[in-house]
Amino acid sequence: MGWIGGVRTYAIMGVGRSAKVDRILRSVHRWVWGDFDRRVRKLLSFAEVETGGGRDVLRAAEVTPDPLLRRLYLAHAIDELHHGDLFRQRGAALLRSRSNRTAPGAPLNWLPSVGHGLDDLRIDDEPDESLLAFLHLSEKAAAGRFSIYREVVEDDPSTRAVFDEILRDEVFHMNYTYTQLARISPDSYRRRLWRARASRLWKQYLRVAEAIANVFGTIMLTAQYFILLPPFAWLAKRAMRREQPGWRALPPERRESLTSQY
Amino acid sequence: MKILGISAHYHDSAAALVSDGVPLCAVQEERLSRRKGDAAFPAGAIEWCLDHAGLSPDDLDAVVFYERSMLKFERILTCALRAFPQSWRSFPAAMKNSLGEKVWVRGIISAHLGVPRSKILFTAHHQSHAAATFLTAPTRRAAILTADGVGEWATLTVGQGERRADGGTAISLLREIRFPHSLGMLYSTFTAYLGFAVNDGEYKVMGLAAYGRPTQVDRVRRLIRRTPDGAFTLDVDYFEYHSSATRSYSSRFVELFGPPRAPYEPIDLDTAEGHRFADCAASVQWVLEETLVDLTRALHQETGLPDLCLGGGVALNGVANARILDESGFERVFVPPAPGDSGCALGAALYADRVYFGQPDRDLPDHPFWGPHVDSKDLLRVAREDGQDVEELADPRLIERIADALHAGSVVGWMEGACEFGPRALGHRSILAAPHSAEMRDRLNRDIKYREEFRPFAPVIPVESAHRYFELPPGGARLGRFMSGVFPVRPEWRSKLAAITHVDGSARVQVLEREMAPRLYELLEAYGRRSGIPVLLNTSFNVAGEPIVCSALEGYSTFRRCGIDMLVAAPVVVTKRGLSQVKTLKEEALA
Repeated sequence: MGWIGGVRTYAIMGVGRSAKVDRILRSVHRWVWGDFDRRVRKLLSFAEVETGGGRDVLRAAEVTPDPLLRRLYLAHAIDELHHGDLFRQRGAALLRSRSNRTAPGAPLNWLPSVGHGLDDLRIDDEPDESLLAFLHLSEKAAAGRFSIYREVVEDDPSTRAVFDEILRDEVFHMNYTYTQLARISPDSYRRRLWRARASRLWKQYLRVAEAIANVFGTIMLTAQYFILLPPFAWLAKRAMRREQPGWRALPPERRESLTSQY
Repeated sequence: MKILGISAHYHDSAAALVSDGVPLCAVQEERLSRRKGDAAFPAGAIEWCLDHAGLSPDDLDAVVFYERSMLKFERILTCALRAFPQSWRSFPAAMKNSLGEKVWVRGIISAHLGVPRSKILFTAHHQSHAAATFLTAPTRRAAILTADGVGEWATLTVGQGERRADGGTAISLLREIRFPHSLGMLYSTFTAYLGFAVNDGEYKVMGLAAYGRPTQVDRVRRLIRRTPDGAFTLDVDYFEYHSSATRSYSSRFVELFGPPRAPYEPIDLDTAEGHRFADCAASVQWVLEETLVDLTRALHQETGLPDLCLGGGVALNGVANARILDESGFERVFVPPAPGDSGCALGAALYADRVYFGQPDRDLPDHPFWGPHVDSKDLLRVAREDGQDVEELADPRLIERIADALHAGSVVGWMEGACEFGPRALGHRSILAAPHSAEMRDRLNRDIKYREEFRPFAPVIPVESAHRYFELPPGGARLGRFMSGVFPVRPEWRSKLAAITHVDGSARVQVLEREMAPRLYELLEAYGRRSGIPVLLNTSFNVAGEPIVCSALEGYSTFRRCGIDMLVAAPVVVTKRGLSQVKTLKEEALA
């Protein structure tokens, strides 16, 4: 850790201090990354998240009134889009390395999507202070996690090299978001960070709650599917068998009324 | 009457505002949200349309949604029942998807806009397509064919439209082909099989088709059979899109055509595998074309009308459109600039105005520029703040300056006026370049668009010169107005137009009339005076995976991070200095 203009900054080594939870889950991460399909799937999903995040930061560059932030956001966005490419290329290279090149299926993900890279942040509506605080925490969390991933893929130097390169950029992102937050909000940047932490926590709670609701919904609907639907399914199949293929004439009354949703 | 049209919830949502029978504005949500193909409820597009027109929701006489959401839900539920018990995995997802938001459209619109529920109307999906193509076309009577993946139940409809002498309008859809039998879904299934994103990669299949030979037509014909009444039916055993939420083709399909392409695998056309994929693309393209030609030929014989209006996402297939013009017997074929679902927002509003409310017919402006205007002052400000080379040039000088740059090999980001409504960049949000060398095509693919090397680029040419360079059949110039047809480049010009000539010698040409985009027209003339050929390469102003830019700031950020040399939003011209300043800032922060 260092200081620029009285504000804390991070050195590359600092990102090695990953989050406690991730350190505890190190063996889980090792298990996840140890499997070829899961590794490919992870890399390709990271590619999508980084690209989506890059586009969001790009949007921030387009809407900020601050010229310095615009240039920094632009550099940040270019990095994120490049990271997306790196992950995508590495995932594709791994796919090419095995004889059966079919991409692994979509991961079973009970958690709802985090949206377009930046955790459903509405960039256009966010003031720069909130965005910088959010970006700083996101980059810090990602750097911590990536540093663990770098360790658990020690058997795969090329993937490790990808994480190495990305981690170097993440340090820049963590630093500039912190220093710029302190610049534009010198009196309240710590409060902004705490608010961003609370917001991230709230969003994580919502994601978990939504995931639980999703599981319950799936169970209920699946039960209904097998309990209630069979007689209707039989009727639907019988009706389908009676359908004539080809053209079907449209009755005029169906063409006229616009008040009905049917 | 003031009528707002909305399309949403499937892909490419949009809003359009019609006032006294004439469109005031229309925009896709993706252009504002910056999320490609954004399917969300188009709150941003609606807000922009109302702001642009200076209206509040209370001023609206009606809000028209582009499809009947409950009928669509009925289809989804029925398909799940028909596929019982194989549909057990997709059923919960389909129900949550529909019941979570999509069937409550009336309430959503009412809640968003605060309009009474009685003002909210619903057109059928293909009615909206039909209205979007017929009511925007300069014709009094025409046959209509709409085809897409699926609306509520219909996947393809035929009918007629008429503007009567008394000012009334009639659009009659006479018959339909129903889901799961769908030309759009057939093509989309091959899109997925070839590793491209459905609803986004269909034009890649069309581009790839030119590299292959239709060697697998017989196999594709096993998937789609003609019925005695002239329609078609798909053998659903080869498909899963009607029973699965995640896969559109079945294992039988894979047995027939071989392993699918992995999405992240580049297509290498020098390998046998690459050729197999190209042949698949060529074969499905061939079958699509021959089916459409048969259907339109029969429609021409039935109606005896000289004009055909094509609508629906399938009408984006320029190769098929050109064959329809050539072989169906219709003299003119009209395709609107937004034939897909986004265009349904405009179609629904126009249908309500002309047919439901019986408002008199009005001639509509024949252009695609209904979106937000570019503000050159924004560009001037940010470019100066970033220390870029900025000039302000009045028109004759600006045109000459850009023509010189293009002739010297520069790539120009060109923004002007209102942005296009629809998927094509037709001269208001375009990247322009010299069309002469294959190196330029490769440079654009590699450094600017970041896309596959087999993808072709389109040319733009003044209408007066079009026949000299392209083999346009009668009616071809009309089809080329909105880049809706693919036509051969005359053989003697192919080597001089290498950047826009596809591997099969064709090009998706935009034929430009002066009044549609006067400044671009003048630029073409100025460029012609320098190069001897008044043709420019015209590709959409975006990079792969992003929507076309809308505002000057979006154009600027795209300009800064790819290999575009100049950016123009008249009268402002920005010339690139490079990213050195950004790099320096980054290095300072790291120090």
